[in-house]
Amino acid sequence: MGSLSEYRESDVKRRILPDETTDMALFVRTSDEDMSFWNRQRIVDALVKEACVDMAMVEEISKEVQEQIIASKISVITSPLIRELVNARLIEKGLEKARKMHTRLGVPLYDVDQFILHPNKENANVPHGPEATNLTLAENIKKEYALLSVFSQSIGDAHMRGDIHLHDLGFIDRPYCSGQSLEYIKKFGLNLPNALSIAKPAKHPEVLLAHMVKFAAALQSNFAGAIGWDAVNLFFAPYLVDLSDREIKQLAQMLIFEFSQQAVARGGQAIFSDINLYWEVPKHFEDVPAIGPGGKFTGKNYEDYASEAQKFVWALFEIYKEGDGTGRPFFFPKPLVHITEKFFKTDGHEEFLNHICDVAADKGNTYFVFDRGGTAKISECCRLSFKLEDQDLADAKQPWKMRYSALQNVTLNLPRLGYVSDKDDSVLFSKISDLMELAVQAHIEKKLFIEKLLAHGDKSPLSLLTMKKDGVPYLRMHRVTYLIGMLGLNELVHIHTGEELHESKKALKFGLKVISQMDLLSKKLSKKYDMRFVLEQTPAESTAYRFARLDLKYHSPQSGHYVKGDISRGETYYTNSTYFAVSSEMNPIDRVIKEGLFHPRIEAGSLTHVWLGEAKPSKESLANFVIKTFRESLNDQIAFSPEFTNCLSCGKTSRGLKDDCPCCGAKEVEGITRITGYFTKISSWNKGKKGELRDRYRNQGFFGNK
Amino acid sequence: MGKVKVFVKDGCHKCPSAKEVGAVLKKEGLEVLYYDMDTVDGLAEASYYGILSTPTLIVEDRDENTLADFRGVVPTPQQIKEVLHR
Ligand SMILES: [Zn+2]
Repeated sequence: MGSLSEYRESDVKRRILPDETTDMALFVRTSDEDMSFWNRQRIVDALVKEACVDMAMVEEISKEVQEQIIASKISVITSPLIRELVNARLIEKGLEKARKMHTRLGVPLYDVDQFILHPNKENANVPHGPEATNLTLAENIKKEYALLSVFSQSIGDAHMRGDIHLHDLGFIDRPYCSGQSLEYIKKFGLNLPNALSIAKPAKHPEVLLAHMVKFAAALQSNFAGAIGWDAVNLFFAPYLVDLSDREIKQLAQMLIFEFSQQAVARGGQAIFSDINLYWEVPKHFEDVPAIGPGGKFTGKNYEDYASEAQKFVWALFEIYKEGDGTGRPFFFPKPLVHITEKFFKTDGHEEFLNHICDVAADKGNTYFVFDRGGTAKISECCRLSFKLEDQDLADAKQPWKMRYSALQNVTLNLPRLGYVSDKDDSVLFSKISDLMELAVQAHIEKKLFIEKLLAHGDKSPLSLLTMKKDGVPYLRMHRVTYLIGMLGLNELVHIHTGEELHESKKALKFGLKVISQMDLLSKKLSKKYDMRFVLEQTPAESTAYRFARLDLKYHSPQSGHYVKGDISRGETYYTNSTYFAVSSEMNPIDRVIKEGLFHPRIEAGSLTHVWLGEAKPSKESLANFVIKTFRESLNDQIAFSPEFTNCLSCGKTSRGLKDDCPCCGAKEVEGITRITGYFTKISSWNKGKKGELRDRYRNQGFFGNK
Repeated sequence: MGKVKVFVKDGCHKCPSAKEVGAVLKKEGLEVLYYDMDTVDGLAEASYYGILSTPTLIVEDRDENTLADFRGVVPTPQQIKEVLHR
């Protein structure tokens, strides 16, 4: 309802109330914290302004609603209730479009009660607290807004039914994720729209770090997902000349602590941050002029800073190895180490590989990203990477230009296609095409909406992304990618062929056929719409649970045979993306090789998890495993995930998931391991992921214990 | 006797000569299968063998065990026969 704050005495006199109720005090609680006398004109005004209904109809409806309210003898009524009574009339009169325009977005009392009292299980990275409640409430309203107003009916319905999943609907007014290098803030300083003060380019490493943290926070409030930083150790290097080892380690410590602090940023949510690291100076940065203190070129190229860059990355992993105050792994920032051909030709790589494998075995932090042959990548979200193309390699000469973003992620529910295709290949493949087209439509609608926001330039809500420090907007819309993810390939193959991916060559080949079709289609659709659609392995922290639940609802009893997890506990899920069943007892190298066959088809990056459980392999055995993966597979990225128990009583962290503390016997313990792309407390997981955790096959024996 | 799988793609320079090698072997009675990586079936099969470049020839025995692969290069028909007769 419109504002009642400018309510005047004359309105009271114009009140239209039939004689028999003139003595009845009918108060309206309005949306702007006001109590007001009943005024039919409010209904009239709203219908004319919001829903474009003609005057005669407006008069009729408003009088009908007034009579209904009077007849009810109600003494206090709220404006949302009046609005719904009006909506009911609009429906009766067949004015569906007007009803939609007249919608009120909001949250039921019961739900608000739940949000305030109970943690958000949709995203385990959000701690519970008033800030988190604000975030959840805002997300809920924006989600409704997106489904009603940004996306067309058919896309909204497909999402609601669970044919597809539109990710981060609660962040509809932002792009999905962002990757950049330090060069932008090194060159331009910290000069953000709407900022109270402007900071010139940093002269000292601690100041550069402070700029990095602030900029990351600013980016977090303009993007829905991860914020990734390219070649962090290399771009810091010109600031580290002449620093002692102790000073470098201190800086490394500051960097990790700053990014791992929870509860300071949006919704009390840690910035989902990735730092990309190299032991060698990557080929595409070798002859690039280095930017140093004060934003000035140092006169040297980045290849001249190999030693400082190596000292810094070494120190970062020393901090990761120590863990936080209680010995737990740092949850953020996630370190992604790129392994390239040049890595193996660079002095000291054996020691460095052992060093980061030591951290991987002990704390699990290290991600190993494999850039084979000529490919170079920067990695973003859980496993999102952007392969650098010719244009990017040209940009690499001026690295502040290297800014990458994916605008949105849409995930396809693959198992559902299995239920409705009746084991008929041609039906299945035509349904995959239809669903891809639907995802593309969703991307086009989001693109139009973001472009509308950006069109306001420096008045845009996304003004950070329209700033043009280097002549082009920060968000380079013509270069963004649109992600198409998949969920439950393993279950689709199971439904369609009778076997899971790991069970036969035939099943594996069929899985490859599905993803090959999606790959070819995404290329074809990219040409058709002049937008870059790329496949992604959706992290699917909550989608794996949601799709499984919806399929149990709409495709029972069939789905009951294929959904993973424990139906009686409600802990059900589908296997993520193109992964093999988490419970299949494959040896890890076999899993890395076979899952890796899918990775060349999935342009936005892929990952294989090696669940370690309680086992603590030696660093040498992990190093061998990493080398083998690089040489003998096409796998894009691997991570090793140990499990921990953190005691809430004595504060000690021990290996494995235990019911009670091995040190003091206390029952108050907290399990910690990797959920999808990051470490977190298991108590915060949704039911689907808890079901998956129960099923995970830990490769306890493979590496041998230390 | 085994079989030879030939993987090709549009616009690849060496692919025509790889196809010729396939044709020669076929004439001599070998089972030769062609896969176009621009098609779903071709790309799926190529993915299974981890093929990233064309042309690629995979030589297999009767039980589909790989005996040799030639990636991005074109072998002579003689080379392939040697693999099969080894
Ligand atoms: Zn304890």
